Amino acid sequence: MADEETLGPLPAGRHGFTREQVEHNQRERLIAGLATAVAERGYTAVTITDITKGARVSRRVFYANFESKEECFLAAFEVVVGHICELAAAAGEGAEDWPGRAIAASRTVLAFFAAEPDLARLCLVESQSAGPAVSARFHEAVHDVVPYLEQGRAERQGARELPPTTEESTLGALVMLASRKVAAGEAEKLEELLPDFAEFILAPYLGAEEATRLAQS
Amino acid sequence: MRALPGKASRQPPGPEPVSRAAAAADQRRRILEATAELIAEQGYVNTTIEQIVRRARIGYATFYKHYVDKQEAFLALMDAAVERTVYVVEEAYDREDGPWPDKVGAGLGALLQQCAAHPAVARACLVEAPTAGPEAAARHEAALKRFEPLLRPGRELNPRSDRLPDTLEDTLVGGVLWVINQRLIAGEEAKLRALLPEALEFLLRPYVGEDVAAREAGGAEAASA
Repeated sequence: MADEETLGPLPAGRHGFTREQVEHNQRERLIAGLATAVAERGYTAVTITDITKGARVSRRVFYANFESKEECFLAAFEVVVGHICELAAAAGEGAEDWPGRAIAASRTVLAFFAAEPDLARLCLVESQSAGPAVSARFHEAVHDVVPYLEQGRAERQGARELPPTTEESTLGALVMLASRKVAAGEAEKLEELLPDFAEFILAPYLGAEEATRLAQS
Repeated sequence: MRALPGKASRQPPGPEPVSRAAAAADQRRRILEATAELIAEQGYVNTTIEQIVRRARIGYATFYKHYVDKQEAFLALMDAAVERTVYVVEEAYDREDGPWPDKVGAGLGALLQQCAAHPAVARACLVEAPTAGPEAAARHEAALKRFEPLLRPGRELNPRSDRLPDTLEDTLVGGVLWVINQRLIAGEEAKLRALLPEALEFLLRPYVGEDVAAREAGGAEAASA
């Protein structure tokens, strides 16, 4: 996600950008403006004026891009989630097996949120309080990770099937743990949770001992 | 109800008048019920006092006699719901005199039943609370912590207990909360009680291993069938 530096106001007059480029840029600035405003004041208290001020565009531009604060938040959420998915996928590519991919992806996501506490708050805390549409999207985004975890089932020895909600509970547990950390203002400590995260993810599939061994390595 | 002048000796018609205290308690109950329903339906942010007053069929003055604002009403709702739920869960846990896994099963069963019986209150307090400002979020967090002492004894059953992460209880409570929230958000409170075997296995596995956890879950399933 771009920061202040890359999202400064467009110079006045002839700037050589096409109309599409300017409009795209305005949309990005509004999204960044919302992220900043939410970090400062919390989603509930944020006004459209806070967003447009931060983005240095007019209200008219806001409403040309988004119908509401909620829609702008959803757009911001999508940008961040999309970015995290790319990072996690790239991190997983370097690993040679499923446990390695799971650990690498966890490490990357935790590192991203630790480095971007404002976006961590937006994604993990504010999204739960930004109205039903956002909270539904939040749960959907978490649910999208289920298939990646389910790949662990192929690693299991023995014939018994794990209960169908195993992945949902595991992911939910980790999301809740991370969001509670972020809500407490301790996002920068998220990376410390990596061994616990890794062990918790791997244990149902590899057994506790192997999960601990891999998580500590 | 005061008798009219000159008619003090006459019995008022109809049922016995309720006392002032009972009437006030009834008003509070109606306010909190309406608050829970509205917040469950549309979120905390979108709920107004006007809507609460209309749903509870009371006047504004009555609302403000009991609560200064929406937040105070919601916090009162949370406090009452948390106390009630923790009581019910602890009671079921204590009453079960079997080994620790059975106690966890009893407590979890009581929790799921409580949520299924009061889905609006559960949704308001579990799903929407983190949205309702710092005080509600803090109460939500404190409520989750109340369940950890029920899980912690499981560490004694684990031969590798020194290797268990400090965050384990936090994590497990969060996982069960997550699956409950999913059902509440989907309006599937009827499916909550059926979660018992799976959620129990999830809670027990890190302490007693998969085989024992699965056996306990099977037992819980048979018992509830």
